[in-house]
Amino acid sequence: MNVPRNLAKSSLLASIIFWTIIGSKEFDLDLIPIVMLSYIPIFLCVIIVVVGSICPFYWSAKNDIFTKAQIFKTCFPYYTCIAFGLCCYGIFASDCDLYFSAFCISAYITTNQSWVWFAKEDKITSILTALNNQEDN
Amino acid sequence: MKNLIIIIASFLFSILFYDRAIGLNLSIFSLVTIVFLVIYNPDTFKNKTILLQTFAYVLSAIFVFINHSSLAIIANCAAFFTLVGAVSQSSTSIYVQWFNGIYTSIAGFFHRNFDVNDEAKRVDFKKYIDYLHMAKLIGIPLVFITLFILLYKNGNPIFNDLVSKIDFNFINIQWFLFTILGYYLYSNISKPVQVEPATSIDLKTGNELYQSNDFSEEKLKKEKQLGTTLLGFLNLLLVFYIVTDLLSMSSIKTTVASELSNHVHGGINTLIASIIIAIGIILYFFRGDLNFYTKNKTLKNITFSWIALNIVLIILIAFKNQIYITSFGLTYKRIGVHIYILLTLIGLITTILKVIKIKNLTFLFRRNTQVTFVVLIICSMINWDSHITKYNLTKAKAFDIDYLINLSNRNAIMLNELKEDLTISQENKNRISTKYRSHMKDLSQRNWQEWNYELIANLDKFDKTKN
Repeated sequence: MNVPRNLAKSSLLASIIFWTIIGSKEFDLDLIPIVMLSYIPIFLCVIIVVVGSICPFYWSAKNDIFTKAQIFKTCFPYYTCIAFGLCCYGIFASDCDLYFSAFCISAYITTNQSWVWFAKEDKITSILTALNNQEDN
Repeated sequence: MKNLIIIIASFLFSILFYDRAIGLNLSIFSLVTIVFLVIYNPDTFKNKTILLQTFAYVLSAIFVFINHSSLAIIANCAAFFTLVGAVSQSSTSIYVQWFNGIYTSIAGFFHRNFDVNDEAKRVDFKKYIDYLHMAKLIGIPLVFITLFILLYKNGNPIFNDLVSKIDFNFINIQWFLFTILGYYLYSNISKPVQVEPATSIDLKTGNELYQSNDFSEEKLKKEKQLGTTLLGFLNLLLVFYIVTDLLSMSSIKTTVASELSNHVHGGINTLIASIIIAIGIILYFFRGDLNFYTKNKTLKNITFSWIALNIVLIILIAFKNQIYITSFGLTYKRIGVHIYILLTLIGLITTILKVIKIKNLTFLFRRNTQVTFVVLIICSMINWDSHITKYNLTKAKAFDIDYLINLSNRNAIMLNELKEDLTISQENKNRISTKYRSHMKDLSQRNWQEWNYELIANLDKFDKTKN
């Protein structure tokens, strides 16, 4: 499992979504240094969420019989439904506060995409191997 | 072509919902969704189950427009998830359809993104790299140009002035993001997905109960004796309780609200405990081979009599609740008690069917969740606020005007019409007038997306309110 690569991609995705939502309401060029700096706390949040809530599924369940694809198909639906419920609750509880809503939406989309990236690692590896074989032939 | 349909649907989604409250828009959205699902899944709409679910969805959409209540909106959402779930797999239980529907609506895109065909992926892989390159080509220069504009802005006042004059306010990014949300939703439901292995397990699970291989008459005889003794005593106890309850009912003073309230709520608590334990015990004894034991007639009869006694208990509670309603009027809690009683009665009937027809636990879950869904749809068809107000003011022996004023605005017009005939204080009459004016003002300011039946039916009253 390539956790650092996943974390880098996820934190970038989370930053883009978070600031796109905020920028849609209040955009100011002076905010750009804050946007750059915010990558650090966002990265920390992504580490906590991805390593704390997604990686354990792959670490605990992956073996010769149970592939990443199977883990994804079995666990992801329940994970996403719970995450969606929590994010919706958070948004309503915060009375649709812009920053908290942006946080919840970016967290939801990022965790979902992170699941897909982890699950696709095997597939992409196999596709690349197949492409290399085709080129060799 | 099909992508174009999703884009059109997502624009419609934005036009209907962006910065608007719920009203006519949800009804139109429901119809658009049905057309959209038919276009994408024409074959599945030949199935009777799906046609029935579509009918329920249309019905709930109509009643969102007519009643404009939270319950109608909840029922509409439930019908939406059921329909999407049924399109994904129509033969599953309704609770699996809900799950499939919710999963498809919120994460179908991610599921399909993962679940693409490997062969197709191989062909598209280079294309994917091109997209990535294009994203880099646009994204990286954009980031650096913004960064350098920011740097140069502080170094040159004329450049700063020019940059400050650039106004992007004509672009509504929020509207654009909302349209993307619409695109995401329609893209998700265009090809409904299934939760596995929940769907396949449910499809494999039938409703029938089968005799096991280790069928032992000796063991079943003992179990039957235990069941007969336990249920026999419970029957006696319940008969005794019902007799005492009937005696206590004759002494209830219908003029004392607290006494009636205690009777109903005490009864409901007894009912909840009794029914849960009753169904639990019955399910335990009829979980397996006892259903196929030839000498189980006595146990079955005692079970039926116990269910019948529980039904009598339900009728008694319903009767007490009705006395409460007649004396002190309708409230949401009192209506809730009646609905709970109805659901409990249906639960007991399905338990009888389970025992008679030798069905398993899944049968009970399936039937009861179906009934709950139907009850939800039916309840959403009723304008409860209006019914409560009308009943309390015209038929009940006493009413609580504070409760009626504090209900949602959907009874404002009726309250205003009836207020002169009521013997209430001037202060309460003023509160009703304020509520009415505020409601009419709210109705008159609504956009077409937020319209509902109440608004159209009272168009003539707006001018009077303004005056």
